[in-house]
Amino acid sequence: MIQVQNLTKYFGNFAAIKEVDFEVKAGEIVGFLGPNGAGKSTTMRILTGFSPASSGTAHIAGHEVHLEPLEVKRRIGYLPERVPLYDEMTVKGFLYFIAEIKGMDRNACRLETGRVMERCGLEHMANRIVGNLSKGYRQRVGLAQALVGNPPVLILDEPTVGLDPEQIVEIRNMIKGLRGDHTVLISTHILPEVSMLCQRVLIINQGHIVAQDSMENLTGSGGALQLLVKVGESTANVQDILNGVQGVKEVREDTPNHFRITGTPGAALNADVANALVHANIPLLSLEERGRTLEEIFVAVVSAEREMFASTGDAISAQQEEAGEKTV
Amino acid sequence: MKSVWVIAKRDFQSFFYTPIGYVVVGIFALISGLAFVMSFNLYIRVSQEPTLFGYSTIPDFEETLLSPFMVFCGTLIMFLSPLITMRLFAEEKHRGTIELLFTQPLRDRDILLGKFLAAMGMVVMMMLVVGVQVGIMGYFAKVELLVLVFGVITVFLMGSAFISLGLFVSSISRNQITAGTIAFGLNLLLYIMGYTGEKLPEATPVPEHLAGILRVPIDFMYQIFRAFVVELPVDLHARELAQGVIQPNNVVYYLLFCAFFLFLTFRALESRKWRS
Repeated sequence: MIQVQNLTKYFGNFAAIKEVDFEVKAGEIVGFLGPNGAGKSTTMRILTGFSPASSGTAHIAGHEVHLEPLEVKRRIGYLPERVPLYDEMTVKGFLYFIAEIKGMDRNACRLETGRVMERCGLEHMANRIVGNLSKGYRQRVGLAQALVGNPPVLILDEPTVGLDPEQIVEIRNMIKGLRGDHTVLISTHILPEVSMLCQRVLIINQGHIVAQDSMENLTGSGGALQLLVKVGESTANVQDILNGVQGVKEVREDTPNHFRITGTPGAALNADVANALVHANIPLLSLEERGRTLEEIFVAVVSAEREMFASTGDAISAQQEEAGEKTV
Repeated sequence: MKSVWVIAKRDFQSFFYTPIGYVVVGIFALISGLAFVMSFNLYIRVSQEPTLFGYSTIPDFEETLLSPFMVFCGTLIMFLSPLITMRLFAEEKHRGTIELLFTQPLRDRDILLGKFLAAMGMVVMMMLVVGVQVGIMGYFAKVELLVLVFGVITVFLMGSAFISLGLFVSSISRNQITAGTIAFGLNLLLYIMGYTGEKLPEATPVPEHLAGILRVPIDFMYQIFRAFVVELPVDLHARELAQGVIQPNNVVYYLLFCAFFLFLTFRALESRKWRS
């Protein structure tokens, strides 16, 4: 549904994104992750036809964004990072205006306005002035605006930023409800959100896509299993006992009596660890298994990238020095 | 075409969701009303004792009152037009709503023409005020219809010129105040040029001893400059047009003026799509 090839965007000499490649299949919800300034919004702006790429192509539903902007814009709903609303209009009036822009006739406009307001829980706010709404409601109006006309592709730039926890849950549920009917590309830097919503993740850093995979692959196979163990007070050396269990690679004491055990890949440690502790008469208070979290993956990927850059940078400068010596 | 109308409607309504529409039309009504009453009074006194004011007979009503009043209304729009146009693009950019418009299935020309029509709607509102005044006048005096029609057309054309200029300035600014100030400055410059142009000598003011090969290009440049200064002022053509004399060049002047700035605005909008 969304195909991006070699997308590059320069602002002056600064490359905001460089040779970005990815694909989003129809009906998928894909999370677009990255630190601030990584190029998430830039990519989304190119996809929505707001600004042009310096080079490369992007297709939405088979239409090139730069060459067939109208066809593309008919098929997308876009919620920019700064929710664009006309403060002086009423919620209903604003959504009606968007429906009109999309070329619907009067009756369809009325129905569609009603539909998106219901979907976003805005019915009781229909006649309120947008400028007087709270941040959460503004965000909902922004989302409602993106849903007008039921576009097959939704591009949402940080839809939950600045909302209170209850609203975040509501908006997330709403987005979850879009799965299947819509192809959704959602950018965020709130990681749990991605694990909750998305089937696939794209991680972008310094303008490069550094990882793209399904949630299961990223959190599952990539890392070895970890166990979080909480024990009661005892005189024994818990660390040594845990280290003695077969298959344990590393034991770290996060806080007193809280241990984080990393196993060798493929090892099933739960029973062995529990047995060992019980044998040693150490009260076992809790034992929790966890896979690699998205945070860890994210930090690992981003910092690996940084190291790689640093090392290639060193290599280049070393080469230059060598070359310099030779010429001298 | 429908999109143009949708944009125009929203922007026009938006003038009246905020105080700006009421302020602009209100101030226009106040000042044009004052000017109307004052010139009407003056005309009454002149027609009672024409010799006292240097006329041999009672002066022509249309020529001395109606046409100048219409031109005055156009000039008033000149002062108020930056207030109408400054927000059209600059505010959208400032609030980020331009991102909304540019990612909807709209062509640039739909947005441009929609906003232009919305601003022209404000000119229509002002003309309704003038309509009331002329209606009162028509009750007391017989107004020659042709002069009236030309007067209205004149104000309209002047309005469209100022609006197109203001729209362009707004499309290249991010801040409303900047857009308003620049548009106002340019309008004023065009107005003042009218008075400067009259004082420019027809012959090139170059000393005779500077003759030789330089003379021809200097003369050429000066004539272009002079033609520019004499012909460009917006109110000059209005004064001729409002008399009810059909002169195509005056109408063409306004149409070209308007088309030129709409074209520039179009390019300014389009420029965001140029690949860097």
